[in-house]
Amino acid sequence: MTPTVTVRGLRKRYGHTAVLDGLDIAFGAGVTGLLGPNGAGKTTLLRCLATTLAPDAGELRVLGLDPATASGRTGVRRRLGYLPQDPGFYPHFTVFETLDYVAILKEMTDRRERHREVTRVLAEVGLADRARTKVRKLSGGMRQRLALAQALLDEPDLLVLDEPTVGLDPEQRLRLRALVSRLGESRTVLLSTHQTEDVAALCERVVVMDGGRILFDGTPAGLAAVAAGRVSLGDHRPGPGALFWRTADGRYRTIGDTPADAVPAEPTVEDGYLLLVGRTQEAA
Amino acid sequence: MTTGDWHIPPGLLERYLDGSLDPVGVMSVEAHLVRCARCRTAVPADGGWLATSWERIAAEVAAPAPPLTERLLHGAGVPGHLARLLAATPALSRAWAAAVAVALGFAVAAAHLAGHGFLAFLTLAPVLPTAGIALAYGRRIDPAHETYAATPMAGAPLLLVRSTAVLLTALALTALAVPLLPAATMPSVAWAWLLPALTTTSGCLALATRVPLPLAAVALGGGWVAVVTGVGAVTGDRTLPFRPGAQVLYGCAVALLTLVLYVRRHRLDPAEPR
Repeated sequence: MTPTVTVRGLRKRYGHTAVLDGLDIAFGAGVTGLLGPNGAGKTTLLRCLATTLAPDAGELRVLGLDPATASGRTGVRRRLGYLPQDPGFYPHFTVFETLDYVAILKEMTDRRERHREVTRVLAEVGLADRARTKVRKLSGGMRQRLALAQALLDEPDLLVLDEPTVGLDPEQRLRLRALVSRLGESRTVLLSTHQTEDVAALCERVVVMDGGRILFDGTPAGLAAVAAGRVSLGDHRPGPGALFWRTADGRYRTIGDTPADAVPAEPTVEDGYLLLVGRTQEAA
Repeated sequence: MTTGDWHIPPGLLERYLDGSLDPVGVMSVEAHLVRCARCRTAVPADGGWLATSWERIAAEVAAPAPPLTERLLHGAGVPGHLARLLAATPALSRAWAAAVAVALGFAVAAAHLAGHGFLAFLTLAPVLPTAGIALAYGRRIDPAHETYAATPMAGAPLLLVRSTAVLLTALALTALAVPLLPAATMPSVAWAWLLPALTTTSGCLALATRVPLPLAAVALGGGWVAVVTGVGAVTGDRTLPFRPGAQVLYGCAVALLTLVLYVRRHRLDPAEPR
């Protein structure tokens, strides 16, 4: 099967800092999660794929098109839904006007068809009753849902979601997971997040990035397996230098070398991620 | 026809379904159908049509009425979607319009107070649209830029729509100020800012294909003021940049710069490396 997105030797620098350092990766249909600490290069990669940022070097093929050309970029944008990390809005617009404006920018010129599509995405994200509310009166979670709604307009083939769960309460996160997993059944969804639970719950594939490079590329179960034999639970506080935290039942969960009195525990996606990222940071 | 034991007779129902029933009969049948579940089951319903109709109604109810500017543009023959893009240009805020009005007010006052004061008006007028265009498009200017930059209208189409909105507004405000100039100002001189304004605007957009838009706006606005004052200082004739000969040059420059802009329009894309 042809991948939806192919990245070869992608480089991007901001000043002297290499944010993407010769990245090679491909993405196909389904939901792929990008994990990584701040500054790992996730947002830069997603911005390059969303055609809002030009890379310094490397090749990109998105939906079979080359974003380095003007016609390629326009072609990608016609089939793209993009939720940026900091989606801004015009505060004086209503929710409906905001989406209507984006729909116009997505070349939906027929008013009736456009309004029907706006109504559809409003219902998808649970904002149908807020259509006439001014954006400045929305809560953070509602704004995030509005940002997601604009990405869903015109049923894009590729969805690029940069931290879509930020600001959402647990119930909204569950709704978002259900929506994203449904969308991932028929199209390519790339999402970056700091929430390992989201990755474990809805991603078929997870990519861990740090320093502009890929540390891990596999399934969530594979990422959890990275920490196999390296996670333990004990009753005593581990020594200095260990990565640990106190759990709700008062025990100490340690990632790394098992303390003397601790017993092995089942690793999670978060354990695998912390172990991977911790290793790189130690090496740095 | 609405009593509990009464139901629509088959003959009447048949006439209702085939459309041969008179309007009063149709209303009576429908009034009964609202209350009678049993009779409703006898009326075939197109679920798809119903769902689509409700969707349309919901969309129309949710859609707010367009604001006045948009309605005026639409009334003037501008397509609805384009009217919305023009009216929603970020630079067209009350603050920008107020700033333009104040600047023009000072220029008009200067024209009344000094002998060649109208030159301040002629010098200022071409700078106003470039200032507006600098505020019309870009990551640092537009809070929603990152979202819009990933749509097919990003780059040249959206920037040109917004620049048109800003240019027309600036020209309209300046034109409104022209009758306030001193009567001694010849009509031809009073309108001598128009071609320079089009030159700075097209020059700003053409230069923006090479450098960031705000820089292009500063370069063209500042460059225009420098040229006008420089020519006045060198030749001793401060009206020279507004004479008919200069106007011909501006006309040629507008044509040339518009051509450059058309050829290089793809470079206005935010994802284009500079």
